[in-house]
Amino acid sequence: MRALYIASTGMLAQERNVEVTSNNIANMRTTGFKKFRAEFQDLLYQDLRRTGSSTSATGTTVPVGIQIGSGVRVAATSRIMSQGSVENTGKELDVAIRGQGFFQITMPDGRVGYTRDGSFEIDNNGRLVTVDGYEVQPGITFPNDTRDITINNEGEVQVTTGNSTAVQTLGQLTLARFVNKAGLDAMGDNLYLETGASGAPQVSTPGTAGYGTLLQKHLEMANVNSVAEISDLIAAQRAYEMNSRVIKAADEMLSATSNLR
Amino acid sequence: MENSQLIGLSRQMVLRRKMDVIANNLANINTAGYKADNLMFKEHLMPVARMNEFQSSDRKLSYVEDDRIAHKFAPGAVVDTGNPVNAALNDEKSFFVVQGPGGERYTRNGEFDINSQGQLVTSDGLPVVGQDGPILFTTEDTNISISRDGLITSDRGEVGRFQVVTFNDMQSLKKEGYSLFAGENPVPVDAPVVLGGRVERSNVQGVVEISRMIQVTRSYTSLAKALSQVSELRSNAIDTLGKLQA
Repeated sequence: MRALYIASTGMLAQERNVEVTSNNIANMRTTGFKKFRAEFQDLLYQDLRRTGSSTSATGTTVPVGIQIGSGVRVAATSRIMSQGSVENTGKELDVAIRGQGFFQITMPDGRVGYTRDGSFEIDNNGRLVTVDGYEVQPGITFPNDTRDITINNEGEVQVTTGNSTAVQTLGQLTLARFVNKAGLDAMGDNLYLETGASGAPQVSTPGTAGYGTLLQKHLEMANVNSVAEISDLIAAQRAYEMNSRVIKAADEMLSATSNLR
Repeated sequence: MENSQLIGLSRQMVLRRKMDVIANNLANINTAGYKADNLMFKEHLMPVARMNEFQSSDRKLSYVEDDRIAHKFAPGAVVDTGNPVNAALNDEKSFFVVQGPGGERYTRNGEFDINSQGQLVTSDGLPVVGQDGPILFTTEDTNISISRDGLITSDRGEVGRFQVVTFNDMQSLKKEGYSLFAGENPVPVDAPVVLGGRVERSNVQGVVEISRMIQVTRSYTSLAKALSQVSELRSNAIDTLGKLQA
């Protein structure tokens, strides 16, 4: 009985939906996290009576045929790259991006990772690194006697050192942009990798047309809306239940058949 | 076999198909732009051997067969997705045009994305057809927005315009799966109402489908009972009539 298999594709799809939603909720407080959305599509149809087939020799045709679908599949889990809310942290090495762009991070294997998580630290060599100790590109090294760190909207990193009152410019943070940032490959640890679907990165300084600006002492929160996620979760759960009812009903019909004699 | 059994069987066969259609609707209850189907039945009259000498003549037998699939085009709820290139159509009968492998196809599923070439595509990667060919974004395109008349703009200016079509005979549209409809003779819509950043959800009503499902299972099981009664009747008849009175 086909209804059994159709309903099982429905249950599978809703399971995926719940997985996506629960991952969003789990990352509600992850800095720079971008939520996912499960996208579904119906599966192929079988023609039992083809539209347009002739019904008589005089040329009459079937206006509307009979098509039976075969269920549903998850077509994509697309990433929603909208801006998350920006929260004040007071920490001078926290940097939020307002607008487009990603920080570029050198990963231990030499590849470049991209992130919106601007909670940076200084390592034992004085370099600007992520919380995992990966260096932020282009490399910025702070002198040992650094006193005050200012990162302005355009990404210029300025410090005062020792007893001096003169402001010293250490370097310039840059941002990378992609044609299709939703096509980036998430590798966990708040890092993304470039893919064929995302296109090559374009790098420029913050504040350039099309690039966001930086905001020191702030962090970008996840763009997860808990109310929307919970209502999605309820919808997915109900859909799962309805599909399981179909399986039960199809089973009842089958048992009625097998009890015929 | 006796006619009553054949008639019951014809009904059971269409009920199973109706169950398949209901299962497909419920499986797609969260599929964007999905339109619910309903299987329509019709009476199929089967003539039998006539004997008009009796008081009442034999009547034609009334079988049932599935006749057609009716697509329900009522709009689904429109929800905000936060993806600026998603789009929903705010009416019942217009469609976005996408370029399928076998020609132009039509969809209500506005879960569009941008691919590596900057082209606006469906979640399967099929290009969305604009009024002036494919809709292409460049790296300079920021703050993408879609106006109500289907114009896509960014900070760079106009990017493209959705091609929106409708059909005179909506029921003749054929579902191809993957959220696509195939149809002939599309009619361009002059003033479409496009909602950017939103998608239209499935128009499947769970309660309606579940109650249809109950109806189907109940009629199926009652038919099964009727069939077994007919069978019992016949075996009784054979037993009784076949007894030889010594």
